[in-house]
Parts: sequence; structure tokens; C-alpha cells
Amino acid sequence: MEYKVQEKMSIADKLRILGDGAKYDVACTSSGVSRQGDGIHMGNTVSGGLCHSFSADGRCISLLKILFTNECIYNCKYCFNRSSNDIPRTSFTPEEVCYLTMEFYKRNYIEGLFLSSGILYNPNYTMELIYETVYKLRKEYGFFGYIHLKAIPGADARIIERAGLLADRMSINLELPTSEGLRNLAPNKSRQTILKPMRMIQQGIKENKNEIMIYRHAPKFVPAGQSTQIIIGATPETDFQLVSVAESLYKKFELKRVFYSAFVNVNKDKDLPSTLGGPPLLREHRLYQADWLMRFYHFRAEELLSPKKPYFNMLLDPKCDWAVRHLDLFPIEINKADYEVLLRIPGVGVKSAMRICQARKMAPLSFEDLKKIGVVLKRALYFITCSGKMMYPTKIEEDYIIRNLLHEKERLPERKENYRQLSLFDEEKKEAIG
Amino acid sequence: MEGEKIWVCEDSQEGIFTGIYDAWASGYKKEECVIQVGEIGNYRLFAQYFSVKTEEEKAWKVAKTILRRMGERAYRHICSAISSTDQEKGNAVFHTLILGFAMEDASKAMTYLSNPYVGKVFTLSRQVYNEVHHFMEFLRFRQLEIGILFAKIHPKNDILTHITPHFADRLPMEDFIIYDSVREKMAIHPKQKRWSIVQDKNFQIEKTKEESKDEEQIQELFRSFCKTIAVKERENKELQRQMLPLKFRDNMPEFEESKWISHYEEKSY
Repeated sequence: MEYKVQEKMSIADKLRILGDGAKYDVACTSSGVSRQGDGIHMGNTVSGGLCHSFSADGRCISLLKILFTNECIYNCKYCFNRSSNDIPRTSFTPEEVCYLTMEFYKRNYIEGLFLSSGILYNPNYTMELIYETVYKLRKEYGFFGYIHLKAIPGADARIIERAGLLADRMSINLELPTSEGLRNLAPNKSRQTILKPMRMIQQGIKENKNEIMIYRHAPKFVPAGQSTQIIIGATPETDFQLVSVAESLYKKFELKRVFYSAFVNVNKDKDLPSTLGGPPLLREHRLYQADWLMRFYHFRAEELLSPKKPYFNMLLDPKCDWAVRHLDLFPIEINKADYEVLLRIPGVGVKSAMRICQARKMAPLSFEDLKKIGVVLKRALYFITCSGKMMYPTKIEEDYIIRNLLHEKERLPERKENYRQLSLFDEEKKEAIG
Repeated sequence: MEGEKIWVCEDSQEGIFTGIYDAWASGYKKEECVIQVGEIGNYRLFAQYFSVKTEEEKAWKVAKTILRRMGERAYRHICSAISSTDQEKGNAVFHTLILGFAMEDASKAMTYLSNPYVGKVFTLSRQVYNEVHHFMEFLRFRQLEIGILFAKIHPKNDILTHITPHFADRLPMEDFIIYDSVREKMAIHPKQKRWSIVQDKNFQIEKTKEESKDEEQIQELFRSFCKTIAVKERENKELQRQMLPLKFRDNMPEFEESKWISHYEEKSY
């Protein structure tokens, strides 16, 4: 197989260029599949995932996240590797990718490989290269750790299927949540070319499950499921549109994760909003919180937002925000309420709700017990009773609760110098638009 | 005779389990029995002290009973709690067992979180588990000249027996050593063999200075990867510090100064 390789470039320089090209992809989790070692090959996987390091932006480094090549025939306006950018171009060889993965893994630097790529010549050619690389890694180097692959939109179903049998997770980035957005910013892609392989992977996973029921040793197809990524703030969608898109991806395509990436205008393209004030990190944070509520707390998108209230409250997290808008449902009695109801209480997580359900069978719980269980009382105390009593005499009144909740500082992702942008005016403006 | 009966035992799983065995077999009222770990410290008035001689067989019987009556999950909680540095751990475990064995379904004992002893065991076990998890993530191996992978850790709790199975499962074909510099002991895993724990007060860390010929290059590659992968526009060192506290960083190559001169512009990591 032939592809453009700059023979003289060292592996260190390639890693710098091809790591740089991959960094805007946010999906770096190694979760979703638990696989024990087999006593011979190197590697296992842990279902909760492991984060081996954190970079200077506070994001987790779990996988060796690289592009196979940053050559690309497409010219998407938001992308750093678009064909019209004058940047050094290079490609790894499959051996180099295997070498880096094995040596890093052995030293406990990473959980595995995340291999993405620009489109070299055409989608099939690129997907074939990706396949060849992971084939080598799995079969020749005997690597049993985590592998996350990008499926290249437009590539042949058969290549994607073969690659899927070697990978733990596959993803295809939706990038822009609406078809207009795609048409304007990524002229070579269409919603159809993205959703088609997504559907293919979904069906592959389903069929494979049946096969495994029949043949226990049938190879597993993408056992950790598929994920996608949406860029936040490049196009004018509202939060409500974004969470609705995410919800339908979870429902219709059975995705494991939707990732949100605050837009950074790396190309300073005139058709895209400037991000001089920094990328919209707080908005991204709120979307992740809402995403969590939809996946683990049984919230529906339209409970969190509506066409009338299309943006998240920047001051309160979505769960608190929902709770203060539904004060008629509170306070909730910890010793009686159902699991699903407990989940709706701010400060109560999935684990603590489960522990409450178990522990209260033995004896009624007090506030002290809740603390031990892991409930965040400073948030929960406005919404709960233990054996009929509230923790302190509190008013169940929207303004009072909001004032007190805001007093307890939430950990926000904004940098200090950007903190000023979190002004009340933005918030009011958004409310006014709604 | 009235007053507390205090069993003083060695700070190890065998020691504590032997203490529990002796206290149980003594015939005293169990509510009056206390398991104390390590030194006696201040003698208490009217209390009776018993010094426990660790016996593997007794410890093994206690372990087997816990496993049979309370199940594997509870057993794991108890073992984790025992690895903690907390001095109350032995007594908390003892009284959790008394409670559990009195229940019809002993496997539910660990859910009785409002009980102070169970609550204590649960809290300790969670602390230890969190530390184990952190070291599964942040431990780093270096390859020595002789080919062995070597990692040095300085954990708060005694976690070697908890983290080693993870790495043994993951790296079956590697010879590796994990050295706990606080307790001066190490887990040794020879390729394709069972691992074991060795206490070595005279271990000379200088002996691990000689590294394999690729080691420096690979560390450098990872260091440069970590630097590259950060998005400049999102820089947030405070968040980085929250997620990866400074105390873990001294054995991590990505936080060491680069030994190479790079011809690319240096961003501070």
C-alpha cells in the first residue's frame, strides 16, 4: 500500500503534528467495556475507564489520541486540518502507531489508542489504512487494551465492519447538529453521509449481540458502543435544539455517549464566530450536566428546556434549576420516596440514591447518615426531609433557595479572567430572547 | 469481671483477623470487646489487655467465615478497610462482623450504613478504594536496563495487594516491581508467574537508576504528547490540579523537565 510518508520526519515530530491535529476531538474516555487479560497478551479494559493524566487544560488523557494522517481532501471551515490550511502534513506508518501504543501502555501512560484520521485520497483508502493499523496492533503486537476508532463517513460498509470487530468503540462525529450548518461549513459532508454509517454500526452491534447468543465465541463488534461529537457555538442552535438532537441520537441510534466540544475558531474563518473571549466552556459544561441527567437520571429533554426557555441557566446547574421550578414536588421524604424520585433531588447522585434505598431498609436514615452515604447536603437540604423533619428551618420559596444555592459556589470550568463574562446581562438577554 | 477487654494485635490483615478470632472465642460479652491495632498507647483504667499472637490458621478461618456468611462484596469492603491507616479500623470491622453474623441474611450487613461501625468500615473502604483507583491511573513504570518495569509509589494506605492484581492481569508477560517507599516493601511480578509481596528495609533505590536505552526517548515522546494535546484556548491549571493533585506528580514523567532541547516553541505544561 502506498501513501505519502515524509521519510525524514522523526517519530517525535510526527507525534507532535498528529497529536495536535487530533486534540479538538474531545472523546477520550476508555469506558464501557470490561475485559480481563488472557494471561498471554498485553492489556485489559476496565468498565469505568481510567484517566492516566490530565493536560494543562484540565482534560483527561486516557488514550493515545492521534490522527493517522493530517492530509485531508475535505475543506471543512471549522477544522484545523482542512485542505486549504498551509500546515506541515505527515502520516504515521502502522508500525509507528503500534510502537507508540505498546510502549506507552506498558508504562501505564495510557489505556489504549484513539485513532482518527484526515481523509487521504478517498474515504475507503483511509478506512483501509486505519483497519490495517489496528489489525497489526491486535494480531501482530497482541494488544488487548482499549481501541477507539473513527469510522470515516463514506467508507464502504464492509471495511467499517471489519474494523469494528477489532475496536472497542467507534465514533462518527456529527460535528454540526443541523443539516444547514453542515451545508454551510462542511461542504463535502452531508447529514446523510454521517448518519448512514452511524446506523450501520448500530445494526452491526445488534446483529452481533444475537450472534454472540448463538456462538459464544463470536468476535465482538464494537463492545463499548458508539459515540459522536457535536461542536458547540459554531452555529446558532439553541441549547434546547442541542439536547433534543442528543436525546434523539440516544434513542434512535442507541449511542453510548454524545460529546460536546466548545468551539474554538482555530482557522480564524470569517464565516464562523470569533472565540476571542475564549470558547463557550460554561455552556459546554451545562450541556454535559444535562446529558448526564438524560442518561442516568431519567430526565427528558423537554423537562429541562422548552422552545420558550431554550437556554440553560448559566448560574444554576440544570438539576437545581429544574428543582426550583418544580417546588410543588418538594420536600421529598428520604425514607419513603422511590428511587426515581430520589434521583431528582439536587445533591443526590445515582450511587447515593441506591445506597439510600438499601440502607433505609435497616433503619430510618438521618441527615448524618446521608452525609456518610455521600449526599451533598448543602444542595439537598432545601429539598428533603428525614423522618418528616427538614435539616434546618428553611423556606420552600424559589428566591430564597436560589439565593442560598448561589451562595454555595459551584465548581465551574471558566478561567478566572473570563469570569466577568458570566455577567447577569447575558443571562437576562437570553431570557428575553426566549 | 467488668470493664473493657482490649485485644492488641499486629497491623495487618492476619493480625486483625487473629485478634477477632481470639476475642470471639474468649466468651466475654462481645459488646465489651475492643480490637486495637498496633501499640497500646495509653492504658485505660479497669480495662483488661490481651496481646494477640498472629496465627495464620485463625486468620484464615475468620476470612473464610466472612466470605461464606457475608459474601465477596462485603469481604472486599472489609479487606480494603483493613488496609487503611486509621487506628479504629480493627474495632469497626469486629463490630460489623458481630452485627452481620447476628443477622438472618449477613450479606446485607454492609448496607446498614446508619450503624456507626458499618459506616466506619464503609468510609474507610471507600477512601482506600479511591486511592487504589488513583494509583491504577497515575502509577508510572520505567523500564530498567535489565528489562524490568519498575514503579515507585508512596501511598497513604497499604494498597500494594489491591493494585498489583490489576497490573498482573494487564501485563502478564512483563517482569515488574511496584515499590511502596513508605512501607519499604514491594510487589514483585515475574513474567507469567504469580506475584508476591516482599518486605525489604535495605532496598537501595539507586540500583534502579540505570534505564533501558529507549526509556528516555519514550518518556520524552509522552511528555511532548501531553503538551501537544492541551488546547491552549482552554488552559485551566487549577482544574488540572484538582483532577491530578501535585502529590502524585513526582513519579510521572510528563511533569518532569524535558531533557531534550526542542526546536519548537515551548509551551509551559
